[in-house]
Amino acid sequence: MGAGQKAADSRLASFLPADVLGWKAEPGDAVYDRETIFEYIDGAGEVYRAYRFRELLSRRFVKGGRPDLVADVFDMGSSADAFGVFSNDLEGDDAGLGQGSTYNAGLLAFWKGRYFVSLSADRETEETKAALFALGRSIAAAVQEEGPKPSLLALLPPEFAGPKSVRFLHSHILLNRHFFVSHEDILSLGRASGAVLSKAGTKGERGVLLVVEYPDPRTAAEAAAGFSKAYLAGAKEAGLVRTEDGTWTAAHLRGTVLAVIFHAPSDTAAREALAKIEWKAR
Amino acid sequence: MAKMIITRRDFLKAAAVTPVAGAIGCCCTGAASVPPRPGPSDSEAAAALQSAPRGSRVVLVRDRNAVAADRTPDAEAIQAMLDDAVTALFNEKSPAAAWKKIVAPGDTVGIKSNAWRQLPTGKEVENAIKKRVLEAGVPADRIGIADRGVLNNPLFQNATVLINARPARVHYWAGMGSCLKNYIQFVPKPSAYHDDACADLATIWNLPIVKDKTKLNIQVMLTPLFHNIGPSGFNEKYLWTYGGLIVGQDVVAVDATAYRIIQAKRRQFFGEDQALETPAHHIALADTRHKLGTSDPAKIELIKLGWMEGILI
Repeated sequence: MGAGQKAADSRLASFLPADVLGWKAEPGDAVYDRETIFEYIDGAGEVYRAYRFRELLSRRFVKGGRPDLVADVFDMGSSADAFGVFSNDLEGDDAGLGQGSTYNAGLLAFWKGRYFVSLSADRETEETKAALFALGRSIAAAVQEEGPKPSLLALLPPEFAGPKSVRFLHSHILLNRHFFVSHEDILSLGRASGAVLSKAGTKGERGVLLVVEYPDPRTAAEAAAGFSKAYLAGAKEAGLVRTEDGTWTAAHLRGTVLAVIFHAPSDTAAREALAKIEWKAR
Repeated sequence: MAKMIITRRDFLKAAAVTPVAGAIGCCCTGAASVPPRPGPSDSEAAAALQSAPRGSRVVLVRDRNAVAADRTPDAEAIQAMLDDAVTALFNEKSPAAAWKKIVAPGDTVGIKSNAWRQLPTGKEVENAIKKRVLEAGVPADRIGIADRGVLNNPLFQNATVLINARPARVHYWAGMGSCLKNYIQFVPKPSAYHDDACADLATIWNLPIVKDKTKLNIQVMLTPLFHNIGPSGFNEKYLWTYGGLIVGQDVVAVDATAYRIIQAKRRQFFGEDQALETPAHHIALADTRHKLGTSDPAKIELIKLGWMEGILI
């Protein structure tokens, strides 16, 4: 499906109203797939391709003399990946929409079911804010089904499960965006089923936890060995090392899941964080 | 002064992209540790400027009146900034003399712009360039200004000189919308260059359609975007009025300088701990891996002109 194609045949179009608070939909929705998304959002399309993105519908709303509104509805293929894309940008206040939402300076984003929705105004005013929320409520109501968050989240200890701190991802480039580990994919995230990153404390001062699930134990073991070689050199005991800034990093492999705690304030805190993981959830 | 600590994360960040990694040393690899290089003294800095290769001279010019409060660029101010920048860049007495070192009447000139809707290069910058190219004797029908479509644009296909001008902004995947990245439209399939956060964008600069043709790079820093949110990455909240242009012949040096300013702005806005964005390692790799130019600030001759308040570098 090509860019700019009429979206009359797209299911995504059925979620969108024709007008909202006086803003009218411009004729000619644009639909993009995994190959054509770059025509719409340039190389940033890779963020969505790093998940199981299938299709995007974009509709512009206009109202004379007012800033335009843009609705982008993404079919992410699964609710886990809709949550994942949403979790890449958690800035802003809870907007009370869908299964999770934020509003930040003219950008309203939420996820529901396997859909990620981004609504933006060319410029923020009180009027555009009201229209974005009305548009969001309309779309959220039109998406009937909800979906589960990634099952890996069930492994997180409570102090790492804050709603503003949990990210789900599949790519080391996205990992580095939130917590730099290495330019190289030393955790083999490219071979993983998914990963959850979470920071405890305001800025991760009580540790940064990464839990990665691989498709089979052998791949997990290879990933753990690779990470250990690249990152845990100098460890005085297996899987536990004090890094140059005085904090502690520890890793533990169990079956198909590798958990790594970075930046723990002490060796005890590092061990405890890994011990608190709900391993039995796997 | 607090002691600087190089962590293994710092090392892994530097190791892939810079020769500095070797200088840092790393306790996690067992490599011999080398003390960090001290900052240059004034005399050392002066000597470095003398010896800096000509291609790595970069001019940062700023004007507090270059952009109005509503973000409208001031065409007159921008023309003056560009004139001052190229004059200083080529160490000439007038813009006209400087432009003679960029284009000749027989050239076909492609001005590679950037048409990103939210933050384009802008007609004020494009017109300022075109005016001087015309005055240098190049006829109007041999000057092209374009972004998308350059690959199939006869003026760009036949260009003997390229001038590369784009606005500075952070980028979700590449780290930064750099002058290096601005040539992505010269390839038929841009996504082929997206691997490893666009690590090897510099290879585009070896393609016949652009190789050795770029005589001037202009990183437009009038209202840079220092943070991404949302699918488009754009939000007015994360623009700031910097009122600058960064101009140079070495594209890597121009980008490296712009990137330092963006990083400084992010630190200023978010604080030290929250300054992480996708690292724009394609800029350093253009130097260390592809030898296209200079990314090491110590080897870049940076000339600062105009408004100094809030310069961040």
